[in-house]
Amino acid sequence: MNLKVAKRAESYIPTASMADIAFLLIVFFMVTSTITVDRTAVELPTSLERVEVPKDAAVIAIDETGQVFFSNGEEDSRAISTQDLLPSAAFIMSKNSLKYFLIKADGNAEYRYIDQVMEQLRQAAVRNIAMLTQQEGVG
Amino acid sequence: MKLSKKKGNPDIPTSSMADIAFLLIVFFMVTSVFSVTRGLEFQLPRQDTSAEQTAEEAVHIFIERSGANCSFTVDGTLMALDDINVYLQPKLARNPNKFVIIDPAPTAPYRCMVDVFDELKQGNVKNISIPTTAEKAAWGSVM
Repeated sequence: MNLKVAKRAESYIPTASMADIAFLLIVFFMVTSTITVDRTAVELPTSLERVEVPKDAAVIAIDETGQVFFSNGEEDSRAISTQDLLPSAAFIMSKNSLKYFLIKADGNAEYRYIDQVMEQLRQAAVRNIAMLTQQEGVG
Repeated sequence: MKLSKKKGNPDIPTSSMADIAFLLIVFFMVTSVFSVTRGLEFQLPRQDTSAEQTAEEAVHIFIERSGANCSFTVDGTLMALDDINVYLQPKLARNPNKFVIIDPAPTAPYRCMVDVFDELKQGNVKNISIPTTAEKAAWGSVM
């Protein structure tokens, strides 16, 4: 009896679609990610209670030395004096009176800086404010 | 003369495409920064309804810096942060709309104010007020 050795099928992993998958992932991450408008490095205070805030909100960053940075939620943030905050905030409020303003202040900043910012926002008739925090017990 | 050219199968080399794409993914993942999108919500009072609330019937929390930490004075009594809710709960049970005024000293660190605010939120305090210095000046010396 002649036992013929079965012809081995050549084995290979199909990698042709790998590029499609990878590009799909890239596109997915590009679409779902939001562009950060503010890159001020601050040590955020911690809190247990946290709620999600709207993504297109204006950002007011206050660093430890009291320097204020402002972004309307679309452009990159820029350094601003506290007095200039009022016209900027008022202009945003004139277009969208429900706009959220995020206060991204350093936990070690003295409260008077936040107080000055709050006063300007109050005069600009801003209603909705959110204070960004980190989760307590983490980091 | 016969000119016969053997035609090679034309193809675009795509085997490295996946490597390129994954490299791009890794690059974007490494360079991107996570933005914080969670925090404490707070509503400023409307201009027209200001100064309606009398400060006498509100709970007043004064925050001062003491060393690296803060001291909290609630209605004139020095208190630990955890005791604020213990003090407030009976008052809230009687009047759920009780006003609580947070009054940080100008030199107090911001994080202490957030700590108190967080504590009040956990205690389900509905009406939290953080008057600015100008507002306090407008109220006069009721504080």
